[in-house]
Amino acid sequence: MPEAAKSAVTSWAAADRSPPSAAAHRSNENAAPRVSGRLTLSLRSGIRAVDPLRFLGLIIFVLAWYALSFLFQPIILPPPQAVLFRLLADFWDAPNLSYYGVAEPNLYANLVYTAENVAIAVLCGAAIGVVSGLVSARVSIFRAIVDPIMTTAGTVPILVAAPFLLIWFGVGRASAVGLVIFYVTVIMYLFAQKAASNLNPIYEEFARTLGASPRRIIIDLLLPATVPEILGGLRIALAGAWGLEAISELLGSQEGMGKVLEVLAGATDPEGIMATLLLLGFVAISVDAVVAWAVARVTGWNAGLHSGGSQT
Amino acid sequence: MNPPSNRMIELVHVQRDFRRADGQRVQAVVDVSFVIPEGQFVCLVGPSGCGKSTLLQMLAGLLPTSSGGIVVDDKEISGPGPERGVVFQKDSVFPWMRVIDNVEYGLKCRRVPAAERREIARSYLRQVGLSHVERAWPRELSGGMLKRVAIATVFANGGRVLMLDEPFSALDYVTRRQLQDVLLNLWSADKSGVRKTVLFVTHDVDEALALADRILVFRSGCQVDDIPVEKERPRSADSLLEPDMIAIKRKLLHHIGLDRPALPDAPAA
Repeated sequence: MPEAAKSAVTSWAAADRSPPSAAAHRSNENAAPRVSGRLTLSLRSGIRAVDPLRFLGLIIFVLAWYALSFLFQPIILPPPQAVLFRLLADFWDAPNLSYYGVAEPNLYANLVYTAENVAIAVLCGAAIGVVSGLVSARVSIFRAIVDPIMTTAGTVPILVAAPFLLIWFGVGRASAVGLVIFYVTVIMYLFAQKAASNLNPIYEEFARTLGASPRRIIIDLLLPATVPEILGGLRIALAGAWGLEAISELLGSQEGMGKVLEVLAGATDPEGIMATLLLLGFVAISVDAVVAWAVARVTGWNAGLHSGGSQT
Repeated sequence: MNPPSNRMIELVHVQRDFRRADGQRVQAVVDVSFVIPEGQFVCLVGPSGCGKSTLLQMLAGLLPTSSGGIVVDDKEISGPGPERGVVFQKDSVFPWMRVIDNVEYGLKCRRVPAAERREIARSYLRQVGLSHVERAWPRELSGGMLKRVAIATVFANGGRVLMLDEPFSALDYVTRRQLQDVLLNLWSADKSGVRKTVLFVTHDVDEALALADRILVFRSGCQVDDIPVEKERPRSADSLLEPDMIAIKRKLLHHIGLDRPALPDAPAA
């Protein structure tokens, strides 16, 4: 038997070498000597991946804005170049802000304040939301208790909680951060729970027959399998967190981008408002791009697939 | 090394009932008893819905019995364990682990040192013909290659009993034949001298004839026959056409109800 069978094994091995596996093989060979080349390669492919139509859209938007600014007075619609110069000027030093009672008279310090609050809130909210979401998917009694609270919180407009937070924590950092934590927790709870419920039970059965303990199943199956969906949820939560943080600063704060916007609105300064919004938008998009890049790096196994999904 | 056990797997009056959504009781497995000696390759054959997969699930410890007992290697089973490896019909390879990490996983769970388990995993990947993709992600592999990974994983884990639940039914004919031989090679090349005891569930009569030492036939949850297959290995396509094998095949087709054409007004179960 062995001879015939052995030759058969090797010939199938050759036949089964389909293109994707061949590609994997190639990349293995190249990995060591071409590490420096890889960076330029990824940079080049990154540039190629950018859609030129997106730039076209941006250019049309700016041109239309520019054209419209001739029709209106600057107090209604300031021209784009004025907004850009104002942003560059105000970034380090905006003396008019101190006149209106903003603690730090520049955009930079207020941006840092807002970004800090967003970071703290997203970290805390994600930690609470992800842990409770994963536990709820595994422990039915926990789910029965927490689900109604979270789904109710998810359907109510989040800003209705703002008055309570102002009463409990006063007009300070805690209120704004609390509101964003609340928002991020609800989103991450729902995403983590869905990700864990979507995990195909076949993986857990296979792991158990291989001798995996319940602890190992959580570490080696539940956590890695849910990472792609959880990080996807994190990007959505992050996008919302910037806006919500700015809004909660509008309602009562001494610092932050929201406070700057409130002051400038009171002073009827659309140029300043637009400069502030431009900066906030730019930072939010940049952070999202960094997170998206990190997600792609961490979930290389998942390209184009959803966790627990079928594959043929 | 202990001598091979004559009673590696023993089922005593095993039953399994389900309650359907409409409240009706359904007996999936009815009073099944059999004994399998160590090293035997047994195929469980029957039409779909005959309870053979349910039986395997109970043997794997993933499903409790309604009554009766299952003893494996002198121990009553109470749950899944690494001494009983399972290859599932569906893809069970973890997509978030590279191929080599998948094959090592059972050993990692049992705290085998990293260098040792890598060596074992590489050896089994070589034997299933997948050395060239050990660093690949499962999504980069074809269905047949994923099955090879699952087989390598279970063999690397070193259990004495191997259960396969229609493992190749979703594969094309050529790939299925290749994998049958991969499985037989691994089974007969066992270094310890004592082969694994194999329980292979299939509804493909030819597959059972090509693989088994013994075929247990099931119908409607009951065991209806126990047929030894004494053909020497390797079994070529021609050996399946010899009179003794054809006689067994005819018997199996009769049990399944395929020995006569299905009537238009009597749809096959």
